[in-house]
Amino acid sequence: MAFLFDPLSVLFVFLILLGAVPNLFYSRGYLPHIERRWHYRIHYFAFILSMLGVVVAANGVTFLLFWELMSLTSWQLILTEPEEEGTIPATRFYFFMTHFGFVFLLLFFLIATDGDLEIGFAQMHGIVAHFAYPSLLFFFLLLGFLSKAGAVPLHVWLPYAHPAAPSPVSALMSGVMLKIAIYGMFRFFLDVLYPWPLEWGILVLVVGALSSLVGVLYALSEHDIKALLANHSIENIGIILIGFGMGMIFDTLGLGILSSFAFIAALFHTFNHMSFKSLLFMGAGSVLHETHTKNIEAYGGLIKAMPITAWTFLLAAVSISALPPTNGFLSEWMIFQSLLSSNTITDMSLKLAIPFAIFALALTGGLAIACFVKAYGITFLGLQRSANARHAHEVNPAMRLGMLAMAGVVLSLMLFAPSYIRLFDIALVSLGRVGAYDAIFPEGIWHMHSVAINGGVVSPLILLASLLAVTGLLLYAYRALGVKERLHRTWACGYRTGPRTQYSATGFAGPIRRFFSWLYRPQEHLHRESIPGHESKFTDSSYEVHVRPLFERSLYDSVAAAANWVSYWVYRLAHFEQTRYAAMIFNLTLMVLFSYRIFAHEFSWATFALESVVMVISIKVLIIGEKE
Amino acid sequence: MIGYVSTIVLLLLLAPILLSFIKAVKMWLLYKRPVSLLQGFRDFGKLLRKETVVSEEASAMTRIAPFLVLSPLLVALFYLPPIAKGAYYVSFVDAFTLTGLLALSTFFLMLLGLDSASSFGGMGSSREAFISALVEPAMILTIFSVSMMAGDLGIGQAGVNLAEHFPREHTASFLFAAISFFILLIAENGRIPVDNPETHLELTMVHEAMILDITGVYLALIETAASVKFVIFASLFASLFLPFGMEEAWLPAAMIFVGKLFAVALAVALIEVNTAKLRLFKVPNLLGIAIVFAFLSLITYYVLGA
Repeated sequence: MAFLFDPLSVLFVFLILLGAVPNLFYSRGYLPHIERRWHYRIHYFAFILSMLGVVVAANGVTFLLFWELMSLTSWQLILTEPEEEGTIPATRFYFFMTHFGFVFLLLFFLIATDGDLEIGFAQMHGIVAHFAYPSLLFFFLLLGFLSKAGAVPLHVWLPYAHPAAPSPVSALMSGVMLKIAIYGMFRFFLDVLYPWPLEWGILVLVVGALSSLVGVLYALSEHDIKALLANHSIENIGIILIGFGMGMIFDTLGLGILSSFAFIAALFHTFNHMSFKSLLFMGAGSVLHETHTKNIEAYGGLIKAMPITAWTFLLAAVSISALPPTNGFLSEWMIFQSLLSSNTITDMSLKLAIPFAIFALALTGGLAIACFVKAYGITFLGLQRSANARHAHEVNPAMRLGMLAMAGVVLSLMLFAPSYIRLFDIALVSLGRVGAYDAIFPEGIWHMHSVAINGGVVSPLILLASLLAVTGLLLYAYRALGVKERLHRTWACGYRTGPRTQYSATGFAGPIRRFFSWLYRPQEHLHRESIPGHESKFTDSSYEVHVRPLFERSLYDSVAAAANWVSYWVYRLAHFEQTRYAAMIFNLTLMVLFSYRIFAHEFSWATFALESVVMVISIKVLIIGEKE
Repeated sequence: MIGYVSTIVLLLLLAPILLSFIKAVKMWLLYKRPVSLLQGFRDFGKLLRKETVVSEEASAMTRIAPFLVLSPLLVALFYLPPIAKGAYYVSFVDAFTLTGLLALSTFFLMLLGLDSASSFGGMGSSREAFISALVEPAMILTIFSVSMMAGDLGIGQAGVNLAEHFPREHTASFLFAAISFFILLIAENGRIPVDNPETHLELTMVHEAMILDITGVYLALIETAASVKFVIFASLFASLFLPFGMEEAWLPAAMIFVGKLFAVALAVALIEVNTAKLRLFKVPNLLGIAIVFAFLSLITYYVLGA
């Protein structure tokens, strides 16, 4: 065991603490809801400690130990409520995916340390520099970390694992654990695997752009509120990767300060995503706690019963939608600025390609707004859509405190953005990057500059102050007018408004689902009880849409089918009679002899064809035999 | 500084007039008796005197959202490019902040639509979410292209630079960006062919559906927001894509600027008279054109050499 506390590690320790401390309060309030309390407590604290262990690890064996511990404790935490439907398959999937990544990390460490896992990261850099195939190491790291972070195409476990976990755990996993993978990328790309060829940066950028779009599109079609948030984690990891990829590209091109700017943007978004995603999961957890359902179609009007949950959720929703003057806007602004600085690149094909990443990020932004209007509007506004929603109350004080504390973290990232950026800058400088803080804030903390020539400027605090001032003035003017107010029911063109006449989440996302139907390929089920003799009149009807993610359908299902096929034949092989084994040995000998003749002596198509026919017949007759 | 403040006051005063002007031109072309240009002010005054009727189903959101719809737009007014050379302008705001402010206003407008539990509100919000999600990429690409031609991402500085050194060698790129921006102007302000602000037919409503349950002062705020949004887009178009006439003294320059705003409004009115509203699912085609023109603008700019 060896630990190090350099600025990058300390920065991520800070991130974990920021995410975990409000979560502790929330967890305290959530605990009565859980049956296996000691199981939960033990794994919960072990999970937080193991995350801390990963970021302060100083050599391979410590890193891998805590990494594995983090995976196992989170796996057990998802299993807290095993009797709920879907939990067991979700945990199995998570267990598989996390170990799939672990294998690649292990391979990376075995190669990069030359087998001695106890050497420090600095020595690893020397070994890696002499390794003949650095791209192999790059792919090992990418697969290892991205399967944890949840980037396309290794993202499929997130929408299953996060909803299955208890809400405080979802908040920790989505808010903090995914960031540990980002820490790994910073640590090993910047420290060990440096320098990079241009292609690596481009690959990370492409993965990021794809993840952001795929994440937000599937989030839009989701009805389960926690799965919706999990899909948004994929999106935000994508945004972080876009920043990271731009940093790598700029670094390869020798644009040091632009690269630092992009890395700072990625780190800033990492922090921001930690804050608002934890808050969103806590809010969703509170709603779930009160309504006992994850189905967003059963919510509605919860802002009246649960004001604190609703308003903190709104803060997080505005922030994740990247709307000014929130922290989400600031980091996305920085990532946009680093994409826009691509006009200084001389490589023409790269320069023409980056606008597509800008397009992807901008479309993601637009769709994220649509998605959070849906999530917020359907959950908290309007009329209660079910009895569960009608009986909801505000959650207990400990949970409220947790949410308010996390809202405080969001606000602090918004108000003290310069101080946070100073921290990121220090961490990057310690890794041998160019410092960018002075270029970002050349005239004090009021104006944030892009470091590119003729780059943009934003003034978060002035923006916030002016928005507050104008809204305040308008409210004051409204009060001064002394308008009379009257309550009346909603006018719906002569019909009565009821919970069932409202727009549903499915309906809200309808236009977007229809526009992207080539991607979603939705399965629609329409069931109607028509009145006999009246085709268009019906007494009862139900409409359901299911969207099965493309990656799961194509990539994972076909892999599963291939594995099934292979294992079927292995099974057949293992259950042969002895005569068949003898026949197999005979056939193998035949094959060896034939191939020896072909490869070692001369080759002619005629004998090859003849021998193949002999082989096929002998296999068919002797091994496969007749069909039973 | 006086010029700066009076520009903002001027724009605020012009906002309702421009919308009334579009309406009047349309009526005149359809052989109706045109409305007065001051109709916007009359409606505003009328709404201020009325009592507000709030839906029983609505929450605190309905009482707050109208203010949050208007205030980002009012803040955005302060950040527009100057209308005369040498006038004060805010240099610390770039185009992203501006689009962000517009999106913030739309965000609360969509929430407002969902608050009253009416199916119309949900319908309007859903459609608006769909359209504005597709507007976003075109907007950012267009802004990127223009700001490269202007040599600055700051919106105020870009306006000044374009007026001082017009990028003659990039006229093609400039025109493509202008076409794209004009389509966005139509889409974001809910004009025909994207949305028809004058009907209340459920098949066609977008903006009106969201505010169907809003009355009195709240409605006045939302209507003001709509007109301010139009004036923001029109003056961005005037400053960025019609960059001339800024060398004059403040008063003549302001006259030219107002002339440009009316020209933009006239163009919108002419398009409204001559086209039919598109079906909702045809709107992406129009926005697709905007996206393609934005890409074309960028690519021609890069290929012809920076």
